[in-house]
Amino acid sequence: MEKQHHINLLSGEAAPTVLIPSDLGHVINFVELMDVAEKVTQKREYITYTGEKDGVKISCTSTGLGCSPTAIGVEELVRIGTENIIRIGTCRAIQPYLEPGDMIIATGAVRGDRAIEELIPIDYPAVADFRIVRALINACEKLGFKYHLGIVRTHDAYYLESPQTPGDLKPRLQKWIDLNVLAIDNESSAVFVVAGMQGVKAGAILLSGYPIFEGYSEDPDLELHVNNLVLAGIEAAKILHE
Amino acid sequence: MMEKQHHLQLLPGDVGETVFLPGDVSRAKIIADHFDSAELVAQNRHYNTFTGIYQGVKVSVTSTGIGGAAAAIAIEELINVGAKNLIRIGTGGAIQTWLPSPCILVITAAVRGDGTTREYFPIEYPAVADLDIVEGMMASAEELNIEVHPGLEWSHDTFYAGSTLSKLDILTIEKPWIDAGVLIASQEASTVLALSMARKCRGGTILCSSGCHQYPDEGASEDEMAQAVSNAIKISLETAVKLHNLDH
Repeated sequence: MEKQHHINLLSGEAAPTVLIPSDLGHVINFVELMDVAEKVTQKREYITYTGEKDGVKISCTSTGLGCSPTAIGVEELVRIGTENIIRIGTCRAIQPYLEPGDMIIATGAVRGDRAIEELIPIDYPAVADFRIVRALINACEKLGFKYHLGIVRTHDAYYLESPQTPGDLKPRLQKWIDLNVLAIDNESSAVFVVAGMQGVKAGAILLSGYPIFEGYSEDPDLELHVNNLVLAGIEAAKILHE
Repeated sequence: MMEKQHHLQLLPGDVGETVFLPGDVSRAKIIADHFDSAELVAQNRHYNTFTGIYQGVKVSVTSTGIGGAAAAIAIEELINVGAKNLIRIGTGGAIQTWLPSPCILVITAAVRGDGTTREYFPIEYPAVADLDIVEGMMASAEELNIEVHPGLEWSHDTFYAGSTLSKLDILTIEKPWIDAGVLIASQEASTVLALSMARKCRGGTILCSSGCHQYPDEGASEDEMAQAVSNAIKISLETAVKLHNLDH
């Protein structure tokens, strides 16, 4: 088999569980938190490191931002035989009770993106695998991180649903708030659908900030919280290995 | 005092926190017969409700009739009178050839091919089963030594456009879902899951199939299917006990 066209990996070059941040910088957090980790390859926004934590082999592949590159990354990870794919990322909180540092474990995603509709009609659900959801819950409980379980909304146009959106954002998002959607992101639906359609287990854990409405401010402890996020992903990978 | 619910004719207190939802009116009685005790508490149209006790837990069953439209009415009215866990126990047509006949499927999410949930929710919103119910069913099945398969249902509205009795080329209609690994065609899971989730209740579905659409002339016998349905009921009852223990 040739190397995958974008992630530049051969079968066997990644661990059974791969963490996929959209932010390339989060790969560095991964490297620092592992006992050992080595760079396997880099091409475009896809950087892969594989390492060991407490005797468990885990990989981390960045996907870049948005469903288009994420769908490519996940598809190619499926093709090299990855068993568990866990998105680790940031998001924009839309429920008033969410706070910086809270972890959001997605059980499913609103398919507000367009990339995945090319693969399968919009009626198909973007759902996280329940075994990955459980591993993420157990990881958060073990590490003492506050977490929330629920649906997130994935969409394409960041500047239409973000703290930097001009004008009054809330009316645009009210229907999702009313449907108990926890947060907005740009990748989860692609992860769930591309993996789910092919019988590969996938999940997502997202780091909350302050709700993105009036009075919004940045998380003052973002660096620490991102580290916690990556730690939760690593812990979940260890749990899945047990 | 609250008036009786318009269709179900139920008042608060008439049902347990867990209510089982068969589509088939006659299956309500079959499910109630698996309780330790049960009595008919209301009957109107095709909505028959029995409430009783299983292992010390108050449980109920309400037949919903066929389709999301009728099921949504039952779910709304059951939540109005105190239901917290809505568990559909139903049948459908398997669409994966590797599934055994009969088979029992724990539904984890549904393709929203129906009209009811489209009217309720934007189509992008996912119909996802409650984690406690999925895990409760998987654990109960293991304890009872019953084989189950977790996966997706294609929920749709028109039986004669998605069953082996259809005159249409159903395997072409179903091809996107077959290719995506969806396990079964049925009608109500999307409504049960999405509506329960939106109303902050737990929704789940367990289904039995006597055979698969690719092999319309083969399948389980009526007796084998009745046994599978009975096993699905047992799994659901044990799940209700687990939900009760989580909450109380």
